[in-house]
Amino acid sequence: MLNKKYAYRLEILMIASILTIMILIGRMAYLQLYEGEYYYRLSEGNRVRSVNIRAPRGIIFDANGEALVKNDPGFAVSLLRTDKKPDRAVLEKLAQIIEVPIETILEKIEKKADSYEPVLLKSNLTPKMVTMLEEGYKELPGVLVEPQAVRTYANNELAVHVLGYVGEISEYEMSKKPEQELKVGSIVGKFGLERFYDNVLRGKDGSYREEVDVAGRVVQTLEQIPPVPGQGLVLTIDANLQREVEKITDEHLAYLRSIGFAPNASAAAVIALDPRNGEVKALVSRPAFNPNLFVNGISSKDWQIINDNPFDPMSDKVIAGEYPPGSTFKIVTGAAALETGKVTPEELIFDAGKHWLIPMENAGGEALGWINFHRALAVSDNVYFYEMGNRIGIDILKRYSAMFGLGRPTGIDLFGENEGIIASPEYKMKVFNEDWYLGDTFNAAIGQGFNLATPLQIALMFSAVANNGDVYRPHLVKEIVNDDGSVAKVLQPEKIGRLEISAKTLDLLQKGLEAVAQEGGTGAQMANLAVPVAGKTGTAENPHGKDHGLFAGYAPANNASLVIVVVVPQGGYGSVSAAPIVKRIFEYAFPSAKVSTENIK
Amino acid sequence: MEFTRILKRLDYILLLAVLLLVGIGIMLIGSATHVNVVADDRYWYVGRQMTFAALNLVFMFFCLRFDYRVLEDLSTKLYIFNLLMLVAVMVFGQTALGAQRWIQLGPISIQPSEFSKIIMIIALAAFLNKRLDHLESFWDWVPVFGYVFVPFILVMKQPDLGTSLVFLAILFGLMVLCGFKKKYFMRLIGVGVVSAPLLWTMLQEYQKMRLKVFLDPGLEPQGAGYHVIQSMIAIGSGELVGKGLFAGTQSQLNFLPENHTDFIFAVAGEEFGFIGTTFILLLYLLIIYRGINIAMDATDNFGTLLAVGIVSMFVFHVLVNVGMTAGIMPVTGVPLPFLSYGVSSLTTNMILTGLLLNIEVRQQKLSFM
Repeated sequence: MLNKKYAYRLEILMIASILTIMILIGRMAYLQLYEGEYYYRLSEGNRVRSVNIRAPRGIIFDANGEALVKNDPGFAVSLLRTDKKPDRAVLEKLAQIIEVPIETILEKIEKKADSYEPVLLKSNLTPKMVTMLEEGYKELPGVLVEPQAVRTYANNELAVHVLGYVGEISEYEMSKKPEQELKVGSIVGKFGLERFYDNVLRGKDGSYREEVDVAGRVVQTLEQIPPVPGQGLVLTIDANLQREVEKITDEHLAYLRSIGFAPNASAAAVIALDPRNGEVKALVSRPAFNPNLFVNGISSKDWQIINDNPFDPMSDKVIAGEYPPGSTFKIVTGAAALETGKVTPEELIFDAGKHWLIPMENAGGEALGWINFHRALAVSDNVYFYEMGNRIGIDILKRYSAMFGLGRPTGIDLFGENEGIIASPEYKMKVFNEDWYLGDTFNAAIGQGFNLATPLQIALMFSAVANNGDVYRPHLVKEIVNDDGSVAKVLQPEKIGRLEISAKTLDLLQKGLEAVAQEGGTGAQMANLAVPVAGKTGTAENPHGKDHGLFAGYAPANNASLVIVVVVPQGGYGSVSAAPIVKRIFEYAFPSAKVSTENIK
Repeated sequence: MEFTRILKRLDYILLLAVLLLVGIGIMLIGSATHVNVVADDRYWYVGRQMTFAALNLVFMFFCLRFDYRVLEDLSTKLYIFNLLMLVAVMVFGQTALGAQRWIQLGPISIQPSEFSKIIMIIALAAFLNKRLDHLESFWDWVPVFGYVFVPFILVMKQPDLGTSLVFLAILFGLMVLCGFKKKYFMRLIGVGVVSAPLLWTMLQEYQKMRLKVFLDPGLEPQGAGYHVIQSMIAIGSGELVGKGLFAGTQSQLNFLPENHTDFIFAVAGEEFGFIGTTFILLLYLLIIYRGINIAMDATDNFGTLLAVGIVSMFVFHVLVNVGMTAGIMPVTGVPLPFLSYGVSSLTTNMILTGLLLNIEVRQQKLSFM
């Protein structure tokens, strides 16, 4: 008998069968237990289609409710994810239509290789692109054209350095904010308030997940997470004033260039703020640029135009430009000398045209004879203030500079603020490795030499005087509003310091500044405005070209509601380049005594 | 033989394992063909499978009245009938999926190559039984190879690579049983390797593609490789306990193709998980174990040969089908015994089960009890 004689052969078959089944069970263990989670994810990827719903970004309003930045309807194109590798021919055709290099498209697809979400390729399509995509949809499988809001800056260049712009998130930005679940293609603020308040404005994207069958038909909606719209901002900026200030600035710069007085007067920084609460009413930096160019990724041509401009349109010169404050600094020197008793208001000092210790002269070489503090400030006498510097010394001057807010950022709600420099022996030693001389103190006393300040810092210096000592943090946003227009948060003015000087000294400073804007002062052109003005001209030496012109002033002089600082780099005398701009702004802001009293309230 | 004695000697463990698999199969077919979704014909597949399972069960018990040994005398006639049937398929057969495999007989279309598996087991067992004493040298085996070769070529020409390989598997099992020498196996493997290029040219384009895809599943993820990738996703995603009956997304949303026939095991994997697949595979092991036991118990060589042939076929089917769904075997149209939907396949496997039961029932030693 076969089975009795060769039972072992049957046993071999049995063992082989057991092994076969064990191998299969082993394979099942590998697939279902060891790799089970991986395959489960794949099966979910098959089944679930997840679509992002972009949250509408918050609107930015000016102080009067005018929408400066909004979302306009537009179209975006994305590529649906499938197991299949996208067809090269399809991508080439698509690249041609949407005018994006195919390498960029492939890169975007590669970045999202592990996701099943559609890949956003380009937003803000032109109507022509939309038409071409819709006509060619048969040759473009997997290409999705969807409506998508486009960030729009309603007035183009207006207040661009305040508003900023948005753009697609960079890899670097994503790595910096891993907790915010930002995805490739997310739109984030890149500059200005768009960047500073990005977390407020952005909102939170929603999504819906739906179950689809093998043919892509929707079987059911699994989950819908509605987007949380971003919150809006109400600015302290008055768009009408901003518009006017920009117009005045541009006209005056053009005038300065056209008469040949200052051929390089292409840049300017203008800040207008309310000293009583720190609200910035207008902020202008010249030259500017159109933020709408950046929304979809700027073209290399447009970028080159901006990048090649030697006056750097991308820098906000109000907060980042550092200039010698020049004679505007004399309020610091004066306050220090009066407060420390090194001079009395009545003391007369003889101006022979140059100082007796070091032959440093007045700007125009004139000699004014015996003058007191009041007159010295009004006519911006250098010899008088050299002597003040001589009497108080650099250490006291340094202390008062800091008290006036120099040498540190103001804390305005913008990124990129510079802190300037307070002249000091330590600074000179550290940077130039040289000893400090009396001449350096003289220079420092009239805001030259090593002193550097941003126009915004100068504005705070004058705010302190204008507002009787109290200094508020300059800010651009006064309210955060919800999607429905209700107020979510009021940003209260924040007092950040107090000028610790006596009322008497303060009064002397104020009276001196008022005299500047009267007959006989350096700002006499503002003598006959509807409201009394106080201020100070400045002309800062510029080793690289024509002097920088400055004017810092406030009005109404007795109860200031507006501080204005204008800096015109390479503009020449402050009284010619900067003061006329300030004058016209005051004319606009205070058209008559009647309106000005209203404004004061 | 009396019916009560038959019932007394019946191998209930084997029967139970088979009925359990058929039952599980019907559940899975139901799930794969969406009986949970309201549609006019939603019970069509389940209905047919249940009807034929019941008919086959009755037929099986009816056949138990006859002694399986009568088949030995019929073997030559069956063998010739088989050849005629296979030729008929080539001439009159209906084409499905690029292969002529079906013959329409009234309301049912049958797959003759399924039934030819039964005939090949019987015919080969009888053929070997006559020669048992003369199977020493390699040349003694040449007529046996020739005996298998003719129907092998006919089935391969249909083309039905799966079934033709089943013939070889049956032959292999019986060769081991009959003491085919190890050195001869080596020689055959050598011949196989040498003739591999020739065999390759005999394959159809889609068969070549399947083999290429087996070696590299990423080759054509939307084409030939799609089945296997989706099947592996289905099985793997079931994890330990599965997604539950009717809850397998891969099969319910049709990501898994052919899910009620050749890929039914993937449905099991997805919906019943590792516990389910292991249980099913252990049921197969139980059937194989009982089959080999029956081969051992047989008091005649024909019975032993038959049982081993049947067991070899089951092992091969399970290995190739489950291996295919799990991505470790190339895609060949081999259904999973008892689980896959298919009237011809179910009938074949139940008849073979009936044969195993018949062999066990007829053994003398039990009659003395």
